[in-house]
Amino acid sequence: MHFYRFLILILAVAATSARAELPDYQAFPAQGTQLLLWVSSERGRAEPEMEAAQKLAAQGVEVWALDPLSAYFLPQLPRSMDAIPQQEMADWLRSALAGGKRVSVLAVSRAAVPVLRAAALLEPAQRRRIGVVLMYPNLYTVAEPLAVPDYLDLGSLKGLRVRILQPRRSAATPWLAGLVDHLKVYGATVEPVILENLREGYWVRETPTEFEIAEGRRMDGLLLRELKALGQK
Amino acid sequence: MKRLLASLAMGLVLTTGAYAAGFESRAATPAPALKAHDMSGVPKTLADYRGKVVVLNFWASWCPPCLREMPSMERLRVKMKGQPLEIVALASAEGPDDVKAFLSKMQLGFPILLDADGSNTKRWKVFALPTTFLLDAKGRVRYVLTGPVEWDEGEALRIIESMLAESPVKPK
Repeated sequence: MHFYRFLILILAVAATSARAELPDYQAFPAQGTQLLLWVSSERGRAEPEMEAAQKLAAQGVEVWALDPLSAYFLPQLPRSMDAIPQQEMADWLRSALAGGKRVSVLAVSRAAVPVLRAAALLEPAQRRRIGVVLMYPNLYTVAEPLAVPDYLDLGSLKGLRVRILQPRRSAATPWLAGLVDHLKVYGATVEPVILENLREGYWVRETPTEFEIAEGRRMDGLLLRELKALGQK
Repeated sequence: MKRLLASLAMGLVLTTGAYAAGFESRAATPAPALKAHDMSGVPKTLADYRGKVVVLNFWASWCPPCLREMPSMERLRVKMKGQPLEIVALASAEGPDDVKAFLSKMQLGFPILLDADGSNTKRWKVFALPTTFLLDAKGRVRYVLTGPVEWDEGEALRIIESMLAESPVKPK
């Protein structure tokens, strides 16, 4: 009897230790075959994102929502994303794949950095199973006026399917072609999509246009289309 | 707890750094080419402003910080009337319709140029809006500012006055 109690205790400790390696995320369970990992930007998790996650779950797409800077107690600054433990993010992706569902990842703004670096740590076969949607990704190391932009090293992204959602009304839009080329250098297959009449973070703007408000409420539809385009739906 | 404290310390350092940026001086860097059109479709280059101190502002009608600083640029224009100073606002990667809609709401006395294809934005390596370049009378970049400012007061006004003081062209 003591032996079984001891065994249960050991298993409980082991399970806790295993969970401790993964970032703390919020799950929106669903019965379908799709799993979307939604990684929020440095601004944190916004209410419209949670509403969209609930709508997706209601349509059969399970969502795991991660606010990485909150999970790792980091300041809400873009560069903080570079300090997210890559191995733990990679383990998170592996645990998502282990469930057997088709896995997609949405990364907003600088959250693209830990997601892509984690994808680079996966085995090539695992990486091919994941589709990634990057919402106005910020991969700069240097972006100063009058200077040629420099991008972060990411590691091998061979086999990774990436779609970039770039709002037209963004200072980054003229630089989209360079960003696409940078991702291709690392082996990713990249498809850019321009979101007309929208600004970065349109669902959390202080003074949103009527169109931005409407599109913020339709984010679930946008993402369902993106999953389909990635071949994940 | 250690991680939390480290995070707070890092945040303080980064935040302080961001506020300390302000105007960045440049060692009289030759300016890239400016090839744009005004709202009437007339081609404009930097040669049109040679001999004047130029405040070249990259902005967009959808950018709230850009719009916040616009009235102070207009006040600067009025304050500096008769001085060899030209304020030029270049609408970055934006078509004429959106710009016209904005100008119908805000009356500005300085020239607005269009950069519909974003080619000037790329040539000047502008990655954030607003970004403003201060050019001396010889057409060289002397200062760069990323982010908005009140142009008719404080550091901005002091810098512009100092550049006008070294200008070879005497004020009218």
